[in-house]
Amino acid sequence: MTSLSATSRSKRRPAASWLRSPLANQIKAPVVCIGLTLVLWQFLAQFNSEGFPGPIQVISQTWDPYIINPFFDDGGTSKGLGLQLLISLQRVAVGYSLAAVIGIAAGLAIGLNRFLRRGFDPLIQVLRTVPPLAWLPISLLLFQQADSAAIFVIFITAVWPIVINTAVGINEIPQDYTNVARVLRLRKRSYLGDILMPATAPYVFTGLRIAIGLAWLAIVAAEMLKADGGIGFFIWDAYNAGGDTSTSQIILAIVVIGLVGLALDRLVGAVGTLVAKGGK
Amino acid sequence: MDRAMVTVDNVTRSFNLPKGGTYVALKDINLNIAEGEFISLIGHSGCGKSTLLNLMAGLDQANTGGILMDSRQVTDPGPDRMVVFQNYSLLPWQSVRQNIALAVNNVMRESSQAERHERVEQSIALVGLGHAADKLPAELSGGMKQRVAIARALAIRPRLLLLDEPFGALDALTRGNLQQQLMQICQQAGVTTVMVTHSVDEALLLSDRVVCLTNGPAAGIGQILKVSLPRPRERLEVMEHPDYYRLRGELINFLQQQRRLKQNRQPLSTSLPSPSVRQPASDAVAMAQRTVRIGYLPGLDIAPMAVALDRGFFSDRNIQLIPVVFHRWQQMEEQLRAGDLQLAITSASTPLALTLGLHSQPSWPAITPMTVTRSGNAICLAQRFRDLHVHTLPDLAALLNARDERLRLAVGQKGSMQDLLLRHWLASGGINPDQAVDFQVLSPLAIQSALRNGEIDGFIAGRYRVAKAMETGLGYVLATDLDIWSGHPEKVLTCHQGWAANNELLLLDVCSALIRGGQFCENGGNHDNLVGLLSRPQWLGIDAALALQRQFNLGNAQNTSNLLPLNRYHSDRAHVANSAEGAWILTQFSRWGWNPFPRNRLELLGQVYRNDFCSAALEQEGLAALSPDRYPIELACGGPFDQDEPLSYLEALPFNHNTAIAVTPLPSGAVRRATTTTETPAS
Repeated sequence: MTSLSATSRSKRRPAASWLRSPLANQIKAPVVCIGLTLVLWQFLAQFNSEGFPGPIQVISQTWDPYIINPFFDDGGTSKGLGLQLLISLQRVAVGYSLAAVIGIAAGLAIGLNRFLRRGFDPLIQVLRTVPPLAWLPISLLLFQQADSAAIFVIFITAVWPIVINTAVGINEIPQDYTNVARVLRLRKRSYLGDILMPATAPYVFTGLRIAIGLAWLAIVAAEMLKADGGIGFFIWDAYNAGGDTSTSQIILAIVVIGLVGLALDRLVGAVGTLVAKGGK
Repeated sequence: MDRAMVTVDNVTRSFNLPKGGTYVALKDINLNIAEGEFISLIGHSGCGKSTLLNLMAGLDQANTGGILMDSRQVTDPGPDRMVVFQNYSLLPWQSVRQNIALAVNNVMRESSQAERHERVEQSIALVGLGHAADKLPAELSGGMKQRVAIARALAIRPRLLLLDEPFGALDALTRGNLQQQLMQICQQAGVTTVMVTHSVDEALLLSDRVVCLTNGPAAGIGQILKVSLPRPRERLEVMEHPDYYRLRGELINFLQQQRRLKQNRQPLSTSLPSPSVRQPASDAVAMAQRTVRIGYLPGLDIAPMAVALDRGFFSDRNIQLIPVVFHRWQQMEEQLRAGDLQLAITSASTPLALTLGLHSQPSWPAITPMTVTRSGNAICLAQRFRDLHVHTLPDLAALLNARDERLRLAVGQKGSMQDLLLRHWLASGGINPDQAVDFQVLSPLAIQSALRNGEIDGFIAGRYRVAKAMETGLGYVLATDLDIWSGHPEKVLTCHQGWAANNELLLLDVCSALIRGGQFCENGGNHDNLVGLLSRPQWLGIDAALALQRQFNLGNAQNTSNLLPLNRYHSDRAHVANSAEGAWILTQFSRWGWNPFPRNRLELLGQVYRNDFCSAALEQEGLAALSPDRYPIELACGGPFDQDEPLSYLEALPFNHNTAIAVTPLPSGAVRRATTTTETPAS
């Protein structure tokens, strides 16, 4: 009896062992579910009279040049996905950096000063709910130029969560630490460096992480409306071209946008954890 | 004790409640802390211990009063008053060394880098954390964190170290070790320390004095216990010290009494609606409820009541006060017990005597909301003793020694304040009142004729009666209360505890009116008025006018009244219902063998002395509601009386009876409220 069960277990082991490895455990569910979704999509696409592509068509139609050669440049606006992405990322980098610097500074001021906090809170609460695209006309009027306008839209969209979270972080500094600072009569600089910054860092990074998502959201929208390059422009361009493969190009671009957005979010999150670990 | 380094001067701290109104956390705290002293603050949760600590740290500011350190007022926090917070308050993103260095670098800005570094390392070594210097607080155990917090505090060499329940979150073993370490460190550094704690043993092990706070709201200092155990102390040695269990018993007793008081007594301030909310009683029913019968015996002591009636202070407050005159104290007490009277102006010792059931009476839960008058007594002897050259107490002692006959002295009531003062005075002169004196209880109105008929040799009474005896040439003054206890409480307002609980607003208004009356009496400019008023038949009678007139010393220099102390009706906290004075009365009850000294005296005094009424009434009248200070009472004969050391005072008194100590059961009808009068047969 014992020998029998032992052999049966040892027989099963090779097949079971890789399935139970931690990596496989994590991947198993997404692979199955996404696979099923793709199969369903492919299945449904068969019945579409308009010729909406299934996943297989999407890949086959965009394989050359978009997937295998992301950095081709035919001159003008005809560029590879990689180059388009770089243009978008550049804009995001500028707008988001501006938002981070100004947002943290403004958040500090608002968090430290009760008058400013009370005075600006209603304004911030209203402005932060304005959708990114609503800013675009004003932005174009102000800057007259598509590139600067897009950067401004990114900035104005991303700045609010940073301001709000920084201010909240300062408000939430535990009374204990403030008391320590008061008893020791810490100097302003020491208070900022030793207590205020480390204590608010987690809040600031939460704000930055929300902001990067919003910034990416805004850039695609802005570029679709008014730009001569970038991933948003690519989508709009493909739609306007209306060729056989344009739908597939759009779908490919959407996938790429999603993946890049995810990567950006994870990147900021990782930096936050790193900074918090250095502190906490 | 050395000159105080820290003085907490009459500090009151109240907080505004979000729903409106205020919560008084601490009221009238007075405390002196000497250099190098270790003080513990102990009391039940919510009694304001931490609030007091924060006030000393300067993290919080008192509403009234202030805190002085080295004669300078504490207005903001500073490193000379370092706090070790309840939850350590270490910065989690800094290592042990960085945490300490932050404090050192900030405070020792003038010193060199090397000096600061050395101080940090030295502090780490002091608490034995060298091996963990580079760890983050999250990597340390609770005990280690606490040591870091203490090291950080001591590293900057504060003048005053403030510890907020420093060992609260630690297990017993760690706690014991750390206590020992803290004690050694504090002793070596000679730092003055104030510690908030819940633990009786911890307080006793570490402190020079333990300050016990009463329950909030409006917490005050209930008792200050000196811990005279020898230093350096070892936990186990301390526990074997003969004094240890006595001190421990006192502390636990205090905490238990506070717990019972908390259960039994609704604080006045929360149950009183604010004056603006109160409706004027207009209808007949309300009026009937505000009719009060008050008993009194004629004398100068009732002047505030007479004035208040005459000037309409009672009717202004919708009170119909019906004064009922008595000629013997005993009769009045009987009527009070029977409920025919709601209130009485009695001797200052009567509320305690009633509650204890002195002289085999059934005990009756009395309270006193305020003192009506102070002082005004004198001891008078028959004229023939003057002919025997008895002018002083030693003369009297010599005379009594020389003859076998006992001295016959009249008192208004056995156990009254006058009786206690007379006995105390005689004993201080070496006369044993129980052996050398025959006390006769006489109605104050009958004293004059008894003296004339030679039935008594002398008496103690108020100045009005003494003056009358002097003017008729029957007697002379041998001593006044200046020779015994100047400013002693003489007459107080007394009522049943249950009645007071059901008629808080009414009682408060009666107190207010009496305070206004007292204020009027105290004013010298009103003496003419007062004479006219008191000579009406319902008070002292027309023949009193002349004597009174003379007594007020109105332009007649050669009269006898400058010998006699004036009654005090209002000034210098005259109205305070001071439980410290009650404690003295208890020592005298015990001294003469009438009642064992109550072990639960604080509970008893807390129940009987309801100074919260007096304070509220004073505030209602817009007067400063000063509470009694905690200095020992200076008696003119015998030593000073410290309310925290009644037993040692009692032991030192001459002629004291077997001073038994016992727990006195307090009358249980005490907290009867109108809504809960239904009897349960089971009990």
